[in-house]
Amino acid sequence: MAKWIKIAGGVVVVAAIGAGGWAWSSLNTSRSNVADDSVTLAEFTSDDAEAIERGEYVMRMGDCAACHTREDGEFAGGYQIATPFGTLVSSNITPDAETGIGGMTEKDFFNAIRQGIGQHGMLYPAMPYTAYAKFTDEDMHDLWAYMSTVEPISNDIDENGGMPFPFNIRLAMAGWDMLFFDNEGFEPVASESDDWNRGKYIVDGGGHCAACHSPRNALGAEVASAYLQGGNIGDWYAPDLTQNPHVGLGGSSAEDIASYLKTGSDGVAVAAGPMAEAVEHSLQYLTDEDALAVGTYLTALPASDTPAPAAASLGDADTARLADVYEVNCSACHGLQGEGIKGMVPAFDGNHGLLTDPTNMIHVMLKGARAAHSHTAETAAGMPSFAWKMDDEDIAEILTYVRNSWGNAGEAVSAGKVGEMREQLGAREPLSNPGS
Amino acid sequence: MNRREALFSLGSMAAAGGLASRAGAVELRGVPKPTEMSADHLPTPARTGGGFRVLTEETDQKTVKAVFDRLIPADDFGPSASEAGCLEFLDDQLSGDYGAGKALYLQTPLRPEIEEEIMGSPQFLATPRERYETGLKALEAYAQENDQAAFHALSPDRIDEILTGLEAGEISLGDDVDGQAFFELMLQNAREGYLADPLYGGNRDMAGWKMIGFPGARYDYRPYVDRRNEDLGLTPVSLIPND
Repeated sequence: MAKWIKIAGGVVVVAAIGAGGWAWSSLNTSRSNVADDSVTLAEFTSDDAEAIERGEYVMRMGDCAACHTREDGEFAGGYQIATPFGTLVSSNITPDAETGIGGMTEKDFFNAIRQGIGQHGMLYPAMPYTAYAKFTDEDMHDLWAYMSTVEPISNDIDENGGMPFPFNIRLAMAGWDMLFFDNEGFEPVASESDDWNRGKYIVDGGGHCAACHSPRNALGAEVASAYLQGGNIGDWYAPDLTQNPHVGLGGSSAEDIASYLKTGSDGVAVAAGPMAEAVEHSLQYLTDEDALAVGTYLTALPASDTPAPAAASLGDADTARLADVYEVNCSACHGLQGEGIKGMVPAFDGNHGLLTDPTNMIHVMLKGARAAHSHTAETAAGMPSFAWKMDDEDIAEILTYVRNSWGNAGEAVSAGKVGEMREQLGAREPLSNPGS
Repeated sequence: MNRREALFSLGSMAAAGGLASRAGAVELRGVPKPTEMSADHLPTPARTGGGFRVLTEETDQKTVKAVFDRLIPADDFGPSASEAGCLEFLDDQLSGDYGAGKALYLQTPLRPEIEEEIMGSPQFLATPRERYETGLKALEAYAQENDQAAFHALSPDRIDEILTGLEAGEISLGDDVDGQAFFELMLQNAREGYLADPLYGGNRDMAGWKMIGFPGARYDYRPYVDRRNEDLGLTPVSLIPND
C-alpha cells in the first residue's frame, strides 16, 4: 500500500510538471508536419501497392498485430495488458470512423505512433511510441498506406477504464513524457556499418526490444543505463541481450541471433512465452538481411557488468539423487547431457538464459510452455506442466540441479519463489499423495 | 430404413460434410498455447484419511486381510499384501467407478443359458462392490459352518485349503456366489493393489515394484534399450515423487 501511495504521489507530481511545461520538446509534434492533415483514414485507401507492401512489413516489424488483434478481429483491439498501475485495453486501430482510428488524418496518425498523442489524449507507454519515435518518415507513410487497406471493424473500447485514479488521467502521461520520452527520430551513426545501423533501427524502433529487455523504474520507464540488460515483465523474465559472457548473448554469432529471430531457436535456446509470440507475429517476417542486421547490432553491444552467477552448493548425494530425477522427468526431451533437441527443445548445456533470474524456468515447470510456431519451424514443441506432479520443493531442487550441471553455475532456486509463482500464475496444486 | 435408404443417407451426409467443410474452411494458424493437462486427464489419487468407505465392517476387513495375506504373504522379498496397502487400495477402488461397475454391461443377458460359453468366463449382473459384499459374507458363513470359527481366525494352512478349494471350484459358497470367480476377483485385486502406482493407495514404498524389479513411471528408456540380460538396478519411480 505504501508503495502504491508513493507511486500515486509521484504521478501527481509528474502531472503537475507536465501541465506546467506543455511546450517542452517531448511534446513537440513538428516532426509530423511531413504528413497530410486534410484526409482522414476513413476517407482514404491507398492504391500504391508497393507502399502497402512495405507498410505491412513495417507493421510486422512493429508487431502491431500482437497487441491489437484479438477475437474481435484484425486490429480491432481488446487485448488486456496488466500493468502495475491497472489494466489497459488495446485500442481499435481499424479505419472505423466511430470506434477505430478512421477519424485520424495522416498527421494525427504520426503524432499517435511516434509521439504518443492520440485522438482521446495522451497514450500510455504500454503502446511503445517511445520506440516507434524512431520510425522514419518513409516507414510511417508506408504504414499509413497499409492501415488504409485494413477492414474497418466497429468495436468500441474503453482503453483505460480498468485504470484506477490517478492513473486514468491521460494528461499525467505528458509529465511522464517530459521525464522519460526521447522525442527524436533515428540518427544513423556514420562510423558504424550500414548493417549495424539497420540493426539498431530495428532494435530501438519497430522491434521495441528494450520494452521488455530493459529493466523499468518505479514509474514504468526503461532504465537507460541498463539498456537491454534484462527486464522482469511479471510472469516472465526477458534476458540480457548484451555480450555478457555469463548471462547474456556473449558467444552468440549474428547468424545465431538471426536464426533465433526467424525460427524461435538458435539451436540452443528456444523462444517461449511472450518471445514466442514476438517470433510468431513479428520477427519471423523479417527479411534475412534485416534479421542478420539485428544480430550484427546486438553482437556489437558492450557486455553488461552482471557478474557470473555463483554456483549453488549441491552435495554428492543430492547431485546423484537429482541426476536420477532429471533422467526420469527431463532427459527424454532435454537430453541426458542437457543437449536438448536442436531447433525444438532448449539445451541446458551452454544456455546462458537459464542462469540468471529463474522466473522463466519456474513458469515453464508450473504452466508448461510452447515454442514459437513459425513458417520454417512449424512443430512448436510443447513442454508439459509439472504442477500436478511436483511440489514447490521438488521443482526448486530440479531447477537448481539443471542450473548447476554440464558446466553451468547458477544460484539455487528457492521453494518459496516457486510457491509464490504457483499462486501468481494460478497453477494447480500437486495431487495429494496417499502415502505421505 | 432399408439398405438403399441407408446408402442414400450416407451419401447425402458425406456430401453435406464436404460442403460444410469447404464453406467453413479457416486456415488453422499457430497451435494451442496451453500445455497443462486438463483435470479430467489427471489420475485420481486414493483418498487419504477417513477410514474405509465400503469395507466398513470389521469382519469383512479381517476376512479380506486374511485372504490377501495368504495370496501375497510377507517374506524376505517384501511385505504382505495388507502391509503394502492393498486393503486401502481395494476399498478406494470399490468406492469409486470400479466398484460401481461403470465400465461393465449390467443389463440382463440376451441368452443367459449360453452366456458363459460365449464369453469364456462367468458373467455377472452384480457390480464388484456387490460381489465383495455377498462373497465376504458367504466366506465367513462357510467358516462358521465348517470350522465353527471366524474365517480370519483360521490357521494359515486351513485358509490355504479353503482358497485352494475355491480356486479349483471344489468348494461351494452357496447358490448366490460363484466361489471360483470370487477367488479370482480377490486374487486379481490383491495383485493390482500390490503393483499399481502408490498414488492409488497400495504398493506402499513401491514395495511391489522393488520386488519384481519394475522401474515405474519413467518417461524414457532409450538409455537402456540396448542393455539386455542384466540387472539395471533402476530405482523405481512413482507418478508423484516421494511415494
